[in-house]
Amino acid sequence: MSTALDPSPHLTSAAALRGVCKAYRHFRLHDINIQIEPGTVNGLIGPNGAGKSTVMRILMGLVQPDAGTVTVLDQSISSHDVNAKREIGYFSDDMRLYKSETIEFHMQFVGSLFPSWDEVYARQLLDRFGLIPTQKVKGLSHGQRVKCLLLLILARRPRLLILDEPTNGLDPIAKQEVLAELMQIVTDENRTILYSSHNTQDVEQICDTITFIDRGRVIASNHRDEFLDSWRRFKLRTPEDWRAPSIDGLRSETSFGNLQVMTLDRYQPAAEERLQASGATVETSEAMTLEEIFVAAVVRGREETR
Amino acid sequence: MNAQAIQILFLKDLFLSRWWLFGYLLGGLLSAGVTSLPGESAGFIGFILMVTVTIAAGIHMIGVLLLAEQVDMTRTFVMSLPISLLDYSIAKISVVLVTFLIPWLGILTSLAVLAFVVPGAKPGVIAFLVPVFLFMLAGFCFQLVTAVISESTGWTIVVVVLGNVLLNVFLMNLNKNPIISELVKSDQLTWPPLVLTIIAIECLVIVTALGLAFLFQIRRRDLI
Repeated sequence: MSTALDPSPHLTSAAALRGVCKAYRHFRLHDINIQIEPGTVNGLIGPNGAGKSTVMRILMGLVQPDAGTVTVLDQSISSHDVNAKREIGYFSDDMRLYKSETIEFHMQFVGSLFPSWDEVYARQLLDRFGLIPTQKVKGLSHGQRVKCLLLLILARRPRLLILDEPTNGLDPIAKQEVLAELMQIVTDENRTILYSSHNTQDVEQICDTITFIDRGRVIASNHRDEFLDSWRRFKLRTPEDWRAPSIDGLRSETSFGNLQVMTLDRYQPAAEERLQASGATVETSEAMTLEEIFVAAVVRGREETR
Repeated sequence: MNAQAIQILFLKDLFLSRWWLFGYLLGGLLSAGVTSLPGESAGFIGFILMVTVTIAAGIHMIGVLLLAEQVDMTRTFVMSLPISLLDYSIAKISVVLVTFLIPWLGILTSLAVLAFVVPGAKPGVIAFLVPVFLFMLAGFCFQLVTAVISESTGWTIVVVVLGNVLLNVFLMNLNKNPIISELVKSDQLTWPPLVLTIIAIECLVIVTALGLAFLFQIRRRDLI
């Protein structure tokens, strides 16, 4: 079986959604624009029901958008056009295997559809994940089922991995094993990963670029470090008649008498000077965690669309 | 169209349904055997058993191979593989049809053989049995098209019940018909124009239902 990946220096984007809209009875994706660069690890973070799975299903051609264009590995993708799917590994939390059949059966079935199937790597993964090939799927725990699905995806050596909440419901040990395997894949520069989760810690651990999605809208997208660098939280002591100076992206989070907690999403050192100049005393200026940034961005996004 | 992918999907489903298929074929052959036992009631019981096995095989195969993929969420897994909707539709409709046709054909063939070899059996009955079995095949095709369109077990069962009622009406009318009544008692197998007309209509209904099932499946926009 072939293990070599065909490097594609001319790949302009691993995946791109432009102006994608999709309406369901109780949910709507609004004008989604996401560009995924080749060789990057991209996190899609959103609360439950934000639209992460729908975006991923559209990328896989499982769901057709009402408007907009979708390209994956520089190819169009639809229910009839499946060339790109040969090089995509898709995992979804709601994906199930045939419960009356064994892991071996699934390996043979998937392997027969992919010329790139790497049997040696598949056996290594079986061993690493502690899976027994003759075991039936109905006897697998949730963690084993996730690992089995990942094995079936990874052993075909896909260039693009679309992983929809792969660590959802896993115990800490299983989660670490799965993340460790993904970290291993990340070292291969030809691989691109799109990883969705509502768990910011997992995403922060492996992703280069992060997109926040809420209520069917992309509310922010940036490189992880830029996200972390550009958001700040200030604790200010302010005089009674204090009015916040006009600083782009500055929002009040909470206020207790003359104590204000404010967040800033386009942080520059000059912002602190301007706050001081306005009469406020900056007691602390601290970096925010990705989870805090996510929550602040969601709250802000909801206020803006209200 | 990817012939290799269609073949792999077809064989996968055939493998998944292997035990059920074997069970229905065995049940069908046994019930056919019951019809050849001495006594009028054996023939009647055998016939009822055959009809029951055939109908059960149809609804069960649609449930196991088509509807369960949606309920058990295995379709997401299958459709994440490099399989187009066209490949999936051809493989799925073919395999559901074939898994029904195996016991259907097994029962019909064994009955035809028994009609010729069992002493005292009337080969003319074959001209009665063929329209009855084609009626059940047509009913199965309508269950299939309903399952494809609605993806609902409930609606499919409604069509099964409706099909059973219509089958009884059909059997009643066949029994009342003097030409058919003469046929089942005949030592000679003949195909009168009435029987050929019924067969032609049934074949047309079967082809239309299968065409509709395929058409609706291929026009689906969202796969999951």
